[in-house]
Amino acid sequence: MPRLPDPRFATDCTVSVDGRAVPARKGESIASALVAAGRPLLSRSAKYHRPRGPFCLSGSCGSCLVRVDGEPNQRACRTPCQDGLRVETQNGWPDAERDVLGLIDPLTPHGLDVHHMLTRPLPLNRALVAFTRRLAGSGRMPDRPAPRGPEASTETFDALVLGSGPAGLAAAEELARSGRRVLLAEQDLLLGGRLRAGLEPGFAPGSWPADVSRAVAAHGGEVAVGTTAVGLWHDGGEPICLLVARSPARTRLVRASRILVCTGGDARPPVFEGCDLPGVFSGRALALALAEHGVVPGRRAAVLGTGPEAETIVERFRAAGMESVLVAQPPIRATGRSRVTSLGLADGSKIPCDTVAQGAPPAPSPDLLRALGVGVDWNPAFEAFSPRVADDGTTQVAGLFAAGEVARPVSAAAAAAWGRRAGEAARG
Amino acid sequence: MGKTVLCACEDVTLSEVRRAFARGHRDLESVKRYTGFGTGPCQGRSCQNAVVQELLRLGATPAEITPFTSRPPAHPVTFGTLAALDPSALPLDEGIPLPVLPPPPGPSPSGPLPERADVVIVGGGILGLSLAYELGRRGVRDVVVLERSYLNSGASGRNGGGVRAQWSTPTMVRLGLRSLQLFARFAGETGVNVWFRRGGYLFLAPDAAQVARLERNRAIQAAQGMRTRILSPAQACEVVPELDRSRFVAASWNPDDGVVFPWPFQWGYAAGAERNGATVRTFTPVTGLEISGGLVRSVKTPAGRIRCDTVVNACGAWSPEVARLAGVALPNRPTRHEILVSGPLKPWLGPLVSLLGTGLYFSQSQRGEIVGGMGDPAEPAGIAHGATLRFLARFSRALTDLVPAAAGIPVMRQWAGNYDVTPDNNPILGPAGPANFFQLSGFVGHGFMMAPAVAELMADWMTGREKDEIFDRFGFDRFARGTAVGEDFIIG
Repeated sequence: MPRLPDPRFATDCTVSVDGRAVPARKGESIASALVAAGRPLLSRSAKYHRPRGPFCLSGSCGSCLVRVDGEPNQRACRTPCQDGLRVETQNGWPDAERDVLGLIDPLTPHGLDVHHMLTRPLPLNRALVAFTRRLAGSGRMPDRPAPRGPEASTETFDALVLGSGPAGLAAAEELARSGRRVLLAEQDLLLGGRLRAGLEPGFAPGSWPADVSRAVAAHGGEVAVGTTAVGLWHDGGEPICLLVARSPARTRLVRASRILVCTGGDARPPVFEGCDLPGVFSGRALALALAEHGVVPGRRAAVLGTGPEAETIVERFRAAGMESVLVAQPPIRATGRSRVTSLGLADGSKIPCDTVAQGAPPAPSPDLLRALGVGVDWNPAFEAFSPRVADDGTTQVAGLFAAGEVARPVSAAAAAAWGRRAGEAARG
Repeated sequence: MGKTVLCACEDVTLSEVRRAFARGHRDLESVKRYTGFGTGPCQGRSCQNAVVQELLRLGATPAEITPFTSRPPAHPVTFGTLAALDPSALPLDEGIPLPVLPPPPGPSPSGPLPERADVVIVGGGILGLSLAYELGRRGVRDVVVLERSYLNSGASGRNGGGVRAQWSTPTMVRLGLRSLQLFARFAGETGVNVWFRRGGYLFLAPDAAQVARLERNRAIQAAQGMRTRILSPAQACEVVPELDRSRFVAASWNPDDGVVFPWPFQWGYAAGAERNGATVRTFTPVTGLEISGGLVRSVKTPAGRIRCDTVVNACGAWSPEVARLAGVALPNRPTRHEILVSGPLKPWLGPLVSLLGTGLYFSQSQRGEIVGGMGDPAEPAGIAHGATLRFLARFSRALTDLVPAAAGIPVMRQWAGNYDVTPDNNPILGPAGPANFFQLSGFVGHGFMMAPAVAELMADWMTGREKDEIFDRFGFDRFARGTAVGEDFIIG
């Protein structure tokens, strides 16, 4: 059962993957359609040609790169499906599934010491350089020239809010209601961020995103969905944000005297032998794909974690007809050829599964804040680098604010409250 | 399966991180460079925390787990999208990341210092390390190299890895040819792979004046046996079919030039120098030079003082600062130079390509990335390491004009290094000020490719062997004598 048999989740388009037709839903990501189709294997890895598939499904990891309509190295999780889209798996011969070079992995059980291998004699070293060059690189050069992107617009707003999860929504709402002209940018096509997965009972988004949109619009602001903040720079001595939308294609340079970074955390891959196998996913991302597109990722799931979020994910999977168990102890190894087939635990037990869902909260994501000079510290409590953001959302950089999981793990309700405080602080 | 992969982008395993740490690559910047973790499309978002957890288990200090400098863009964006930005609307600035206040404490010096040495080399870039290595091979074993940060922190770890002999003067052609020979045998000699590949250099001339320049250079190069040829646009497109041939009128092609992966040279030279008896100390800045009787007597650092017979200043962009400690005013003007890489592609580009008159150059690395830079005439003098959106816009415009198919390729990462610029675009070699204070700087963005050949000659001279003519030609006193002759084939 690749998708819940609910008419809401009926497929309505077809994409081609290595020449084979895959049914999909318009607007869902390629990665989501392939998980629903039971085909998470998208490429082979750089050195050992290990199987690779989507993990985070939210644009923060790098393991779902595919070739889309002749353009290499595109994130399958960021590319929405539409009829006739031509997707090719990468770095496998003849394809990622049957890849002959997949033999490199079992033949190198202790890995390769690339810096010191085969350095002499000279002819052998030359052969090594030529051979590894053939092996290297994942995407093929585009077949044909692509048109230049659209001319960029340069715009100024009172406030730029990046991300529309609970923190971003609350911040944008606070700023709009105080009369500020706000640009709220969301990389997905829908507002709500983590709220869309509905993993925190008692905190359903309801009409909140729509209310915020109205409030933003009422004060001359704008809500831009499908718009990724590619980065923050400082050209001209002031922060400048490059925002890129795919469809319709639009490139915007935005300056604002207040920038609020509420982009959420980065899904955190678990660490054990075989943790990189296709079939190991961010649990929150799977819950979202299930809620919005009825994607049932497999038959048997092992959900890693101890918190309420992991428990809720187990329940969701069960409600969708999957066998699902909560795994509280750290796994030792995942096994499987092109997809995980079982998970071994420290106590010697083995859980047969085709899906492993990381139920631990995402790690803070400091990159955008660091660009403008915010410091980070190692936080031993959640074993991650965490940007210095105060409880009122301020940072050490004037005009730069943050709230929510971008800064540290917090509940959705706490993120919303934090976002509101950040909005108040930025209101000035 | 067997492997625990921490960095799925670059296939970096737990045991590779442990191996790096055991070999002395302890701080995150060094572990990143040695293992490659965090250099793929996710830029460390998925793996940096897991690597830190392992380093802490292995005994890393809090200062050693300072996160590596984050590199823009935060998300990959195609050359085609960036080419739509108007660079003139993006005034130059110091770039990002902006400095953090207060800065985190850095790692402390990597070990105790000897009390004295025959030679102290200031600067652990390729020039300083290759000189230490060559001195050791000539029996001078009592050498200390002091690097203020991690290996590869300066221009030697920030350049594009191009190595060529296509120069405009017989001296530079000779040095370039010798360096190419040494690059070719580096792996065999030091036991460290540097992925040297003779893919050639293709210089494109957009107008008749540039063609005349290439013709003149070709004659000089031919006199030293080089295979340089002048190609028509159609012939150049046989070498790189993706080029838009309307953008140039002729090209100069030498198939024997090449590209390397810069980082391992520092590891190979440092390990080789230490095998020959030298001491290499990282995170050890020089804070003073004690001078008496016209000689430098000792070098001061936070980790102690080293008495010495000779001091070599090989600090690249920082050379004027170190020279000032001896009261010497070098004319070097460090200038930022920005560079970027795309995501990794299957091999498609053989040579390093440069479009004369624009500063644009690009090549394909061993890992498959497009690596390229482009000098900015508006860039002021002064050390800066920030990255700008203006550069992304300028480079992407120039690249997609010349290679239209590149528009669909995502840019992965940008950064900057500093050219060590001199008034005549030539290096400064030999004593300046105190008679035992040697300069080895001023290579104007080409120190990396010149280092192996120059280090050999310098070591010969310093050990009483032959003194090459470059030490007369490129002496510090040429500026006072007025005998400087400019090099005009500087790229980037």
